[in-house]
Amino acid sequence: MTRETRAAWGFTAPVLTIIVAVFVLPTLLAMAMAFTDYSIYALADPRNLHFTGVNNFTTLFATPLFWRAIGNTLLFALLGVPMAIGASLFAALLLNDATVRWKPLWRVVLFAPFVTSVVATAVVWRFLFNTRFGLINQALGAVGLPGIDWLGDPNTSIPAILIFVTWKIFGYNMVVFTAALAAVPQDLMEAARLDGAGRWTRFRHVTLPAIGPTLVLAGVMSVAGFLQIFAEPYVMTLGGPAQSTTTILYFMFDEGFKWWNLGQASAVALVLFLMILAVTLLQTRIARRNEWL
Amino acid sequence: MSYEGDYSPHLMPDFTAATGIPVDVQSLPTTASHEKLLTAHAGSALPDVLMLFNGWIREFAMIGAVAPVPTPALTAGIFPGIRDALRIGGVEYAVPWSVAPQVQYYRRDIVRDAGYDTPPLDWEGWLQMARAIKRRRPDDYVFLMLLNWPTALLTMMTQAGATMLRDRATRGNFRSEPVRHAFAFYAQLFAEGLAPRALSTEVQDPVAAFAQGYFAIWPSSPTTLLDLRRREAEIPATRWGTARLAGPTGPGPVSGDSASLCVASSCDRPQAAWALVRHMTSRASELKFQRMIGNLPARLDAWDSPQLAQPVLAAFREQMAQPAPIPPAVEWERIQSEVQLAAERVVRGIQTIDAALAALDDRVDRLLAQRRALVDAGKLA
Repeated sequence: MTRETRAAWGFTAPVLTIIVAVFVLPTLLAMAMAFTDYSIYALADPRNLHFTGVNNFTTLFATPLFWRAIGNTLLFALLGVPMAIGASLFAALLLNDATVRWKPLWRVVLFAPFVTSVVATAVVWRFLFNTRFGLINQALGAVGLPGIDWLGDPNTSIPAILIFVTWKIFGYNMVVFTAALAAVPQDLMEAARLDGAGRWTRFRHVTLPAIGPTLVLAGVMSVAGFLQIFAEPYVMTLGGPAQSTTTILYFMFDEGFKWWNLGQASAVALVLFLMILAVTLLQTRIARRNEWL
Repeated sequence: MSYEGDYSPHLMPDFTAATGIPVDVQSLPTTASHEKLLTAHAGSALPDVLMLFNGWIREFAMIGAVAPVPTPALTAGIFPGIRDALRIGGVEYAVPWSVAPQVQYYRRDIVRDAGYDTPPLDWEGWLQMARAIKRRRPDDYVFLMLLNWPTALLTMMTQAGATMLRDRATRGNFRSEPVRHAFAFYAQLFAEGLAPRALSTEVQDPVAAFAQGYFAIWPSSPTTLLDLRRREAEIPATRWGTARLAGPTGPGPVSGDSASLCVASSCDRPQAAWALVRHMTSRASELKFQRMIGNLPARLDAWDSPQLAQPVLAAFREQMAQPAPIPPAVEWERIQSEVQLAAERVVRGIQTIDAALAALDDRVDRLLAQRRALVDAGKLA
């Protein structure tokens, strides 16, 4: 070992030790716990803890609420990712237009929701969605549309939460996209314009390939984020009405921390981990094929 | 938890003055307290003295989080029905602090307009009155029974005579006539538009809604007394009253969220901790707390005080003598929320009552699988 290697190890060892102790080890233990029957009874007496093989998974797959939670989470991701990324891209394109004035102001205003507290804004949005006094239903009423029981109807609860989530998070990707858009080569844009390309064609063949990698990154992050959605339904609906907003993470939280079935909850965590891994691999593969990465 | 947490600090100066022991009070949100306390136990971070709802005491005793009451003197003079219900395997782990049976808070004016002096105390009469109110006020509702809070339905089930768990509390017993009867009555209130299909997250200010007449009958616990007193400008005391909850043929046993005080088994100053429990459950403290937040004393002799002779407390006083039994499974807290989820599916027309009860039995049997195994192996009474 040369002096440099020793020095390098010396510098990285403390951090590596901490990472192993607080990240790698707990993760491995949690994975191991997924194969035990750790529950409130094991908390009472460690002798009640048994290795149960894949029992947790068979129980899990036989629980209707687990499938319900997977379905709800996929619905969140399926609707939420295009909504959030679309809103971000749209706002970024607007902000990128040369005719827009006071750009820094707009950027701050549109980015602001992202840095506010989820719980505080969710409470405000709960008032906006209120069936009787909510501003949203009053606005619908003003244009002659019937009011919607946003958070009380199992069919509208996910869209309602998604409206809130989109409002809350679109600012972040908007800033990322603004940066990517600034790097779109202007000479290519000019050339395309001279060749008679319209707005859409220019967007499709010049802007999109230039921001492709950023889009993929935003997509991967958003999918991972939406698959782990928890705080919003927890504050807005407590997983209701009729468990229509219970997500995988919510289900895991209930099992693990509310009822202390940590074995079962770890099994859920493992399933969620595999799901996110699979989606991310798929996205990277598609991106590679399209040469965006 | 609830107002107890917010107002307990007012009980401490007397204690500190008498004993020289400083007390630091930490308040928890009621809806998250169960998991917070469990996590605190797992992390050896429980406070020395803690308040538990009576339904949780068996669970906390089983995991060894709370210590047995050292002397019977501490629980002497408590309502016998409540004290005996909390004895686990012959051992007491908690000193009952407050009794909080639900009663119906009703709007005197609305009920009177419908032709009644006080709400009827049997289901049929209740329903007739509700229909009469709904006819006069079609845009409002009559009852507030939040779709994610199980107490109203569980009370109906107990009153209908249901035994919810069977085989030494190791299996669900929900496909029974009393449960079906209670579910049907509960669902009918929603189907006829007598109660709004609303979750607690949707009714942000129930007191204001009660004041506006959005609903006229509100099954609730004694803490609502403080809410109503605080908001007297919106709803004067002359406009509301209390009565026992209606049962199938008349009032019966009622669930509530009565609370007790326990000492953590990890406490390293047990004498001081039990001294604090003795202070907080004393007659003087109970009466002081009653004046402050409306909490009703679990101590019999406190009820001789003239301050408890107010007419609005009469309903509670009668109800207290008939507490609903708590099934002896530590999973009971969770089972209650499963019952409510089943009821919500029925109310929203997602499942029929029979399908919901079959699914509920199945679900509860799964939840109790571990308990069943332990009971069968003789490791659990």
